[in-house]
Amino acid sequence: MLRVEGVRQRYRHGPPVLAGVDLACDPGVPVVLAGENGSGKSTLLRIAAGAARPASGSVRRPAVVGYLPDRFPARLRMPAEVYLRHLAAIRGVPAAPELLDRLGFSGPRREPMARLSKGNAQKVGLAQALGGDPGLVVLDEPWAGLDAEAAETLLALLVTVSERASLLVTDHTGRAARIAGARHVRLAEGLVREDPPGPADSRAGAGAVTAPLPATAIVLRCGDPEAVAQRLGVAGRCTGDRLHLQVPAARADALLLDALRLGCSVEMVGPA
Amino acid sequence: MTRTLAVARYLAADAWRSQRVLIPAALQLAVLAVLFGGDPGALPAPWGASVLALYPVAAWLALSLAQTEDPIQRSVTVVAAGGPGPVAAGTLLVAVAADLLLTVLSVAWPLVATPYGASPATVLLGLLAHLAAGLTGTAVGFACALLPRIGWSLAVGVIVVLVTAVQPWLPPVGAAISALETGSGSLLVPVALALALAVGATALLRRT
Repeated sequence: MLRVEGVRQRYRHGPPVLAGVDLACDPGVPVVLAGENGSGKSTLLRIAAGAARPASGSVRRPAVVGYLPDRFPARLRMPAEVYLRHLAAIRGVPAAPELLDRLGFSGPRREPMARLSKGNAQKVGLAQALGGDPGLVVLDEPWAGLDAEAAETLLALLVTVSERASLLVTDHTGRAARIAGARHVRLAEGLVREDPPGPADSRAGAGAVTAPLPATAIVLRCGDPEAVAQRLGVAGRCTGDRLHLQVPAARADALLLDALRLGCSVEMVGPA
Repeated sequence: MTRTLAVARYLAADAWRSQRVLIPAALQLAVLAVLFGGDPGALPAPWGASVLALYPVAAWLALSLAQTEDPIQRSVTVVAAGGPGPVAAGTLLVAVAADLLLTVLSVAWPLVATPYGASPATVLLGLLAHLAAGLTGTAVGFACALLPRIGWSLAVGVIVVLVTAVQPWLPPVGAAISALETGSGSLLVPVALALALAVGATALLRRT
């Protein structure tokens, strides 16, 4: 449970970045925060997580918080697993190094992480934020730098996490639109307003019974169609080794690319 | 408290890997080696010089400790610890542990390396004098860590240390050194004052 009430923040010589923000976030209803560059999303997330104090206003949050900052540092001196152990100990929760495996971390684990790739650093940051059953998870651009496979895994992880924890997330990749049951809000001119994704910018069509038009019909052939549908985050009809999908046309290319990466072969593509 | 200890363990490990804290520690060892390498004379007077060295060394060490993490990494640690308080307290614990280590080394060195012995009361005087200088240095280092640029930190730190170390009447460090020169006097008050300064500077550190 997260309650942000009347939070104001401004930087010197500038207009207020946050001008009395109210935001509530509960388990089961993830909140996706949108906003333009420099609109103060990261500032709000820092305050919500407890990394910074607001000039005025109040924030109530659970005891154990997972926070992924924008640009998680790629140069930590400790090996990834040692870092995760320390952070878990500071939170007072068991360490969860298996999250590195799930996210497909491919960097060194027991050697100091002199300089990790952007993606691997992001995976360490995600593992430290999501591990240990936090009551609130605050993620600033969690998909930044992730490969397609890790991005899908993260989506599935977030769905699981948000069942038990309040989840507040920003995203520029459009993947957050596929978090089922999420509440979409937008930060503009220092205030947070409801911002339900319209059909035009719904790049997902996740589980949508009535796919917005124009739609594209896709038939994929793969070993385990149900697992692939889950990985792609779309609802589809499975017959034998085939997966029949209908997705918004704007989303079709990205989905095909993801499907090919997952080892599917494309049998048919056409207008629905 | 367990969070503070966990933060302290993490910061100590991180600082050890960064190796920046090794430079001031090595400096103190170099001073001890030169000071007690020849014939320094009877104790406790020679400890005055090692106390004088420990003061800026402890300030440097505390400044390095407070700035080991980069700001984004620090924000993650603060969130994990549930606020800046445990992180500041953990930093203080590591700094005090380093002060204690250097204090014991500085006091023990001449007892081992030179023919001069010391009564338990003199040894206690030496320990307290080093501790007073170490804790005050920690306070100065933390206060300097609040300044926005390392150049300002350095300038302010050097001036504060130079001015306060050479006033024989001024507790904690000036008084500690003059007590060693006369070989008498109680240092409990300077040590208590130094501890209060270090704790006060830690409270300031929470605000960063």
